[in-house]
Amino acid sequence: MPSRQNLLGLWMLLCGVLLFGGIGLLLWLDTVLTPATPERVALWVLGLSPAVVVLMLGMVLERRLFRPLRQFQVLLARLVASPDARSDFPLDGWLKPLQPDLDHIRDGWRGDRARLRDARDEGAAEALRIQQELEGVLQVLDLPLLICDDHQRLLLFNPAARTLFHDQPALGLGRRISQLLPHASLNDALKQLPQDGSPRQLLLPGEPRWLRCELRRLGARHGGALITLRDTTHELESDQSWRRELATLLPRLRGHAGSLGSAADALVQVEHNPELQHRLEQAISQESQALSQKVEALTRLVESHQLSQSGLEETWSNDLFSALGERLHEEAIELTPVGIPVWIRVDGPALLAMLERLIRELVQIRPVEALDIEVLLGNKRVYLDLIWQGEPLTDHQLSLWHALHLFDDPLSPRIEDVLAQHGAELWSQPRNDTDTASLRLPLPASSRGARPQPRAEQHAGQTRPEFHDFSIAELPAPDAALAHTRLEELELVVFDTETTGLDLRGGDQIISLAACRILRGRLLAQDSFDQLINPQRPIPPDSTAIHHLTDADVANAPPIEVVLPRFHQYVGPGVLVAHNAVFDLLALRLANGETGPTFDMPVLDTLLLSRTIDPTLEGHGLDALAERFELTFPPGTRHTALGDARVTAELLLALLPRLRSRGIETLEQLLELQREVEQGRPS
Amino acid sequence: MPRVLVVDDEPNILLSLEFLMQQAGFEVTTAEDAEQAQVLISQQVPDLILLDISLPGMSGFDLLEQLRADEATRSLPVVMLTAHGREVEKEKGMALGASDYITKPFSTRELVSRVQALLDRGNGG
Repeated sequence: MPSRQNLLGLWMLLCGVLLFGGIGLLLWLDTVLTPATPERVALWVLGLSPAVVVLMLGMVLERRLFRPLRQFQVLLARLVASPDARSDFPLDGWLKPLQPDLDHIRDGWRGDRARLRDARDEGAAEALRIQQELEGVLQVLDLPLLICDDHQRLLLFNPAARTLFHDQPALGLGRRISQLLPHASLNDALKQLPQDGSPRQLLLPGEPRWLRCELRRLGARHGGALITLRDTTHELESDQSWRRELATLLPRLRGHAGSLGSAADALVQVEHNPELQHRLEQAISQESQALSQKVEALTRLVESHQLSQSGLEETWSNDLFSALGERLHEEAIELTPVGIPVWIRVDGPALLAMLERLIRELVQIRPVEALDIEVLLGNKRVYLDLIWQGEPLTDHQLSLWHALHLFDDPLSPRIEDVLAQHGAELWSQPRNDTDTASLRLPLPASSRGARPQPRAEQHAGQTRPEFHDFSIAELPAPDAALAHTRLEELELVVFDTETTGLDLRGGDQIISLAACRILRGRLLAQDSFDQLINPQRPIPPDSTAIHHLTDADVANAPPIEVVLPRFHQYVGPGVLVAHNAVFDLLALRLANGETGPTFDMPVLDTLLLSRTIDPTLEGHGLDALAERFELTFPPGTRHTALGDARVTAELLLALLPRLRSRGIETLEQLLELQREVEQGRPS
Repeated sequence: MPRVLVVDDEPNILLSLEFLMQQAGFEVTTAEDAEQAQVLISQQVPDLILLDISLPGMSGFDLLEQLRADEATRSLPVVMLTAHGREVEKEKGMALGASDYITKPFSTRELVSRVQALLDRGNGG
């Protein structure tokens, strides 16, 4: 159908020609024939009637045919873009009689889709249940893990991995592992994993962390690998600091021991020389003092190292107490945890057995049926108090308990072994102002402070995070020519910028850059890039009026030189998409300078694509298109970089099925189409 | 009487070693750092040097390298004294040309006998 402007032009031209032609003809006839008044009127009516008829016909055609046809066009576009949207408007004019047939076709199609969906949903429900169970396990797993396919593309990462890589924009489904962990050793190890699934260990050094990772080949169809990670930075640091301290301490110890030994030897041999004798005695005294100090320092070092040794694990005190309460329940001893629970570093089973043994001994010598148990935060340590009504225990009594075995088995560890393991001691004391007493056990505190977060609360109100997509493994190999990649298999990064103004060449700068990712035809809900940028120049009030960003908002934001490499990393191998991409690309390229990363990947423009598909429709701005395809901006997100990028992404998803139905299947074809409309030759 | 130069920055061990070596029949001079030792050596080359590795400023290893580079002191016996017990440091000392290597704490009797043995070997050869 010709565009509205063309039709309108043609119509007005025709009307004009007929009107002025008619008037000219009439004036000529008037002078030639000089008719009487009634004939003149008849002549004028006859002469002007073609113009009037065409005028009227045009109006009727516009109202009854052309406008309904355009509406029909939008209706079809909307139906293809989102077949299940329900807010259709009725056909009008001469197309009105087609309404029942159209309704029939549409309802039939929707019915078929619904039946297909029901059948699929039913079949998928069971799979989903299993999937959710597995997801649940992955969600609570503290161990960061990644799964990648044969091409080292990320198929899954769990929340622990997201936490570990929270500062890394390169963590995303479908991204190459090498973007996240650019270690050649990892790349090699992944290629050479044994077929039988036996693990390979690797230490990946780096800033800001050292990761210990374990790799296993998965027997899955995609032949990928499971990577589990452990942040060993802290472990290595503490190990290194212990070695460093030891390395400085030991030579000093040796030195003082050497001086002491030789001075003592000399003193033995010295005769008739009181002055030398005195000096040697002084030397012995000094050296033995220095030696004692160094031995003391060594003891502290060894103690602190023992405390940090493995075997002691982070334990939530209330978990320990409830296990202890259950054990004592059989003995009819009531244990009540009081106070605020904390994390402690203990060998849980050993400590539990020791506490049980201590309480059993206690009830034999004190008439106690109910005990309180409390943890108190001290300096570097946590005090575990067992509290009862009555007198404290004597130190002599406690010293007898030290030698008791935890169990009846004489080979089982003694109480003193568990105390030594925890670097702990035992003492009993009366409690202030009450007639209660306590048995106090100082234990190593944990470096973790806060209470464990219940997972359900953490994610309440959020959409289910997307952290796996095994269909990525079906995608063509990353080195296959991008041009021939099918549209639904493309990794698309849709971005938008907000700027200080529209005159980019005149010095306007980016102040906000955001992007989201489309993978396998799905807009990923949690995979986004959103960064404010300090433009190093004031933001004019009329541009603040649009995006509501002020100088104060961007005062602490990084400059563009810092943000662009991170954005480049986020884009990875993706194809860029923007609405009116010329503007946003120019903003990126001007900001880039000579040293920044180059953005030379293919770029799709939803403005151009929309114009290509619907050349006869007016309005290809983001607002008009959002309305046409019933895409909504969440409140307050229009004219935010991320809000606009998301709607642009949804717009592209609405356009893709219509492009496919026009035979556009690959990126190459799409870029060619875009080039044609760019050069003003729409197909 | 063989002349022995003891170089160590710990005054207490210098005092003891000076006396013990004198008792064993040596003529002893002492230095608290490598620079002082260089001055003493330039005035009169001793028959043997007891040299601590950890010295303020120039280290014992540095001094040893200089001695080995100088024609006059190339074959002078040097016994390294160290508080570092690591095997690799001993290897380093021997590689740089130390005649013997003694780790603190040490038995003074053994020290004297090893010094004596080195001097005897020097006289014999």
